[in-house]
Amino acid sequence: MAEVLTDTKIAALIAEAKPLPEDYIRRVQTKPKRGHRERELDLVGANGSGFRLILRESSFNALDFSVILAWLPPQSTNPFRLRRYNGRSHEHTNALESQKFYQFHMHLATERYQQSGLREDAFAEPTTRYHDFAGALRCLLQDCGFELPPNRQSGLFEAEGVQ
Amino acid sequence: MTIETIQTDFRRKVGESVRLAGEGVNRYRVFTPFLFEDGDHLAVVLKYEDGRWVLSDEGHTYMHLTYDLDEKDLQKGNRQKIITNALSVFSVEDREGELRLVIPEEQFGDGLFSFIQAILKISDVSYLTRERVRSTFLEDFHSFMEATVPVARRTFDWRDAQHDPAGKYSVDCRLNGMLKPIMVFALPGDDRVRDATISLLQFERWQIPHRSLAIFEDQEEVNRKVLARFSDVCEKQFSTLGANKDRIAAYLLEAMQA
Repeated sequence: MAEVLTDTKIAALIAEAKPLPEDYIRRVQTKPKRGHRERELDLVGANGSGFRLILRESSFNALDFSVILAWLPPQSTNPFRLRRYNGRSHEHTNALESQKFYQFHMHLATERYQQSGLREDAFAEPTTRYHDFAGALRCLLQDCGFELPPNRQSGLFEAEGVQ
Repeated sequence: MTIETIQTDFRRKVGESVRLAGEGVNRYRVFTPFLFEDGDHLAVVLKYEDGRWVLSDEGHTYMHLTYDLDEKDLQKGNRQKIITNALSVFSVEDREGELRLVIPEEQFGDGLFSFIQAILKISDVSYLTRERVRSTFLEDFHSFMEATVPVARRTFDWRDAQHDPAGKYSVDCRLNGMLKPIMVFALPGDDRVRDATISLLQFERWQIPHRSLAIFEDQEEVNRKVLARFSDVCEKQFSTLGANKDRIAAYLLEAMQA
């Protein structure tokens, strides 16, 4: 069984500074696959941790998307999903709380869900902070220690937009 | 058939907790109690298209699977077999990544039942995602050579500057200071064994004096034909690094003293 990450370790990984490359806007433009668009961007945090930004958006439904921050454990090929910001295309149930909702929602990795044998990010909270893919990406970048390149300190996607 | 009748039929065949909610013209979200392993419910939409009712996942199922899997992996091997079988058994169509089932003769409940079964079966492929421990073989090889061979006698990632300036026929470590330098290859798998075979043949062609040594991560895992071809051109081989460090070190020291 994979190692259980404590809430403290999870918080530290989320807070670790993650400098974005100069061309990050180009590298988060999603590309078409079968039924959806996707893109991934690997990053190295200030403390040397490996991270992956995973982007998915449906080709059919603009409200169906997923913006994920995963940690890449050094001894494993299984990314650990720290955060996942989802659209409003399906219900979600928090198994331990028996709480069900149909809203935009943010999956959060938790120690207690791992200890219960559930997926690390099987807990989620409804949100009104974003209503589309670009908004979800903006929120994730704001929440998870991402740092803009020195010459791009203003808005995240104001010029190029995000598909 | 009214939407209330459709919902009743869904509930009769699948379960009381199934419900419908309108989302646009002739389009309904179908809520069911069925979940992926992360607590997200299956995405199911009922829509009226070209004079018929269709259940669709609007591409959500495959997209969800790609959180953990490469999309290409869904189209080969055991995963592809499981998916193809599920689509066939439950008469679900894969239209460019969108899973669809045309409702047969107003049998809404039966259609939803089959559609859910197909999605659940397809989502099983995520359990084939095995934890794989990343190999440290190449790092171990590097450390071993650094510890065994003096820095002046070795060059990592060596290439022949005269014949091969682009480095297409590189050697993991070249030992110098003897009449015939030793080309040492670290071989984690079939691809690298093939590359090493080609490199050694090219060195022969260029008449570069050399001896050759191969250290496998696990020789038993190498394809027999690939290994046979390599064995024809490589002088000395060790089947693994970990269990043979003393032997390899003795071999290298003797060769350097010659």
